[in-house]
Amino acid sequence: MIEQLIFGKLSLDVFPKDALTLYLGGGLLFSGFIAIVGSLTYFKKWRYLWEEWVCTVDHKKIGIMYIVVAFVMFFRALVQAMIMRSQQAIAVGPGHTGFMTPELYNQFFSEHGVIMIFFVAMPLIFGLINLVLPLQIGARDVAYPYLNSLSFWLTAVSAGLIMITLMIGNFERAGWLAYAPLSGLKYSPDVGVDYFIWILQVAGVGSLLAGINFIVTILKMRCPGMTLMKMPIFVWASFCSMLLVALAFPILTVTLALLALDRTMDMHFFTQEMGGNIMMYINLIWAWGHPEVYILVLPVFGVFSEIVATFSRKRLFGYTTMVWAILSIGFLSFVVWLHHFFTMGAGANVNAFFGIMTMIIAVPTGVKVFNWLFTMYRGDINFSTPMLWMMAFFSTFAIGGATGVIMAVPPIDFQTHNSLFLVAHFHNVIIGGVVFGFFAGITYWFPKVFGFVLDEKRGKYAFYLWVVGFYVAFMPLYPLGLMGAMRRNYRFDNLDFQPYLIVAAIGALLIFAGFLCQLWQLFYSIKHRDRLRDKTGDPWDGRTLEWSLSSPAPFYNFAHIPDVSKIDDFWYKKQEWERAGGGKPQNTAYEDIHMPRSTPYGFIISVLAGLFGFSMVWHMWLPAIFAIVSIIIAVVVKSFNLDTDYYVKASEVEEIENLHFAEYKS
Amino acid sequence: MGGTSTDYGYSNKTFGVYAFGFILCIFLTLVPFYAVIHSIASYEYLAAIILVSAVAQFFVQIVCFLRLNTKTEQGKINVWSFVFTGVVAFVVIAGSVWIMCNLNYFMMH
Amino acid sequence: MNSKVVAHAHNSDAADILGFWLYIMTDCILFGTLFAVYLVLHTSTSYGPSLKHLIDLNYVLGETMFLLLSNFAFGLAIIASYRKKGFMTSLMLLLTFALGLAFVFMEVKEFIHLVHEGYSWDVSGAASAFFTLVGTHGLHVSLGLIWILVVTMQIMTMGLNGAVTRRLTYLGLFWNFLDIVWIFVFSVVYLFGAI
Repeated sequence: MIEQLIFGKLSLDVFPKDALTLYLGGGLLFSGFIAIVGSLTYFKKWRYLWEEWVCTVDHKKIGIMYIVVAFVMFFRALVQAMIMRSQQAIAVGPGHTGFMTPELYNQFFSEHGVIMIFFVAMPLIFGLINLVLPLQIGARDVAYPYLNSLSFWLTAVSAGLIMITLMIGNFERAGWLAYAPLSGLKYSPDVGVDYFIWILQVAGVGSLLAGINFIVTILKMRCPGMTLMKMPIFVWASFCSMLLVALAFPILTVTLALLALDRTMDMHFFTQEMGGNIMMYINLIWAWGHPEVYILVLPVFGVFSEIVATFSRKRLFGYTTMVWAILSIGFLSFVVWLHHFFTMGAGANVNAFFGIMTMIIAVPTGVKVFNWLFTMYRGDINFSTPMLWMMAFFSTFAIGGATGVIMAVPPIDFQTHNSLFLVAHFHNVIIGGVVFGFFAGITYWFPKVFGFVLDEKRGKYAFYLWVVGFYVAFMPLYPLGLMGAMRRNYRFDNLDFQPYLIVAAIGALLIFAGFLCQLWQLFYSIKHRDRLRDKTGDPWDGRTLEWSLSSPAPFYNFAHIPDVSKIDDFWYKKQEWERAGGGKPQNTAYEDIHMPRSTPYGFIISVLAGLFGFSMVWHMWLPAIFAIVSIIIAVVVKSFNLDTDYYVKASEVEEIENLHFAEYKS
Repeated sequence: MGGTSTDYGYSNKTFGVYAFGFILCIFLTLVPFYAVIHSIASYEYLAAIILVSAVAQFFVQIVCFLRLNTKTEQGKINVWSFVFTGVVAFVVIAGSVWIMCNLNYFMMH
Repeated sequence: MNSKVVAHAHNSDAADILGFWLYIMTDCILFGTLFAVYLVLHTSTSYGPSLKHLIDLNYVLGETMFLLLSNFAFGLAIIASYRKKGFMTSLMLLLTFALGLAFVFMEVKEFIHLVHEGYSWDVSGAASAFFTLVGTHGLHVSLGLIWILVVTMQIMTMGLNGAVTRRLTYLGLFWNFLDIVWIFVFSVVYLFGAI
């Protein structure tokens, strides 16, 4: 009895039976774990890790950790994608079943989707916003530094949970959104869907808190003179994206909670019998899911707006229209969700309404593309890697957008729904938009975070491999979809598909080579960091406030809170300094700076939340109760501690700033 | 508020406004309650009475208890975020009901 | 230098309250979604009983009055905190707590009664939606009760300092918000359910 309460359904039988998963996956996971733990112990870095990273509330370090998590997860999901592509290329024709069982394949595509959206794209967004946004608005930190650390650790812990799913038990097989009734207890009796539910609940709370945090940061922490209409576009785009996070994620929380109630309490929200309504699940999950798409892509529009202005050495064309375009995309994203299920059988009036709304979104998006093009027009363009990513984005995103508008027409969607055409479409916008955007953004802001630029040559190799690989991998899926190949099949009978599938698999290989090139670029740049050192703090001749700081930015960000009077204020100040015949002037009147103290509570609470999620998955009721009570106690104990800040001495600030200015003048 | 100069965006709470709001709330709870208990009208009218009193009580609580206002910068942010949230909540509720009714209808016809 | 510190503290105070307000906005969406689910599913009684004949409106009116009174008592606590009367504030908070506890107690009793009458959460989609919507509200009230106790303890041990006053303001927003949600639960679930 007590054993049942402590261990629930957990037993020694939970490890995978399938040899491939067990030895390959388990071996990789285990050796990675040993390598990390071993090197930390060998180099005696445990204390450093705990004090400087785990407990940190510095938004720049939290941003770095977000991006590290994103890339680790990216690697995993990319490898899964390659395995699936090879499986599909091999398993064509009668009798050919390839090397994967359908059970494993189904888990792979579900996990690939969940990881790519929740543990690659979302951490990349939060990471980039963490790195850049406070610097761009002239703030010393985010509004709630402690909450920021909590958000990150919730994301990291749930990423850790998804890492172990294939080893301890199994992941779900119902696709990345786990449609009911397939995800109901009747058709998915194992723990896979429970993993899905609780991993996303933990990660979702983290995202929600981060969303609120950044909204308040933007509204309350801007430096003097920076009115809303003088904010950099990246800040506007992040603001709108975070608004969507705050308003859409509660819907996901409710939907998953209802599914969990169905599975554990025998309720009937999304069951087929007893008055449940499976269509309600699909309706609700997309009422969150569509805004989610724009949560991902809006910050990227912001990144490109910054990059295009900097690398064309012109101010952004049509700032005001850009802001209104972002806001209208934000609102419209809430009124189009039905286009994900045109085929579910709504009447012509409903389908027409949502189809038209979907097409309307293309208008503000088009406005933005033309704004970028006009910014480049007669600009003094510098084709560095960030700008190359932007050029690739233009064409790729335009193709993806066009196929999106095509599918917004309900009768056409009836033909392409759930086919590889759709798969091609959303990879086209997500890779061509979101992923390319983040690569551009990371290359662009890398020197601000680490103090040296990334190597251009290796960056360009990676860029060409990625872009060519993308087209080779996904263009064949359009004709395949029109030929009738449906998504989520582990094998096909029709031999006509095979050439296309082989080409797509080669594309996946090229993309992976691109990813490896990026790793090469990173290690190469670290090795040659002295040559690539950014001494000025402004390697690209930037326009916004973050470039007025040293690279890497000091932990307190601004020794003096800046005072701005117009858009791209820093750019005009630079010209003034140039006319006066000197560089950036040093204001030597330093003051003590008020900073938040590091705290382990974010990490502790997140680990407990992870334990809670894991216990709920395995019906380990006692540990679950222990975890939830501990979380409440931790929060209450934290609330009694009012000593959360300290002062950085003016002398320390002066020392750091003097170092930068000495380097700057050399 | 209340002696400090921090701008929370909410007006000060005073006993008079509070008591007034409280009495109004009780009144607005009892009116639909008795209307339903005694079935004083047809379904449509009852529904109207319930909805009107609910919305009225909602505004009474917002004005008299929460003390939302647009006098300060912070107050404006509060009100605007509230309005925007209301719009989104309305879209989700009305949209879901519309879609699901439509789907149920076409399931049967 | 000193004036700067004060300015910073003020700034973060206002930021804190905005963040909490935004959290309440997200809770609005959460309840909005639950209402949407209830509206879609409330007719899906399947083979189970209908809620209509099981509702005792007089009893629910009692719950409503307790919640409304506790909200009023919280207002009195806040007014007492303006006047820096720590003891009076704590006393009013405890009154709020007692009234809120009465509400939760009545709700739990109602649930037990419903289950005994055969209207359990697993009999139909409609029943699931009812228990989840009303239960989520009840869960929020229960968390609020714990929080009231914590803040009361903080007033007693730390006095009405800046941080505690700020938390009292948060709690007030939260408590008031729960009453606002209850207006709609009362109207949409109970009154409409009884017509």
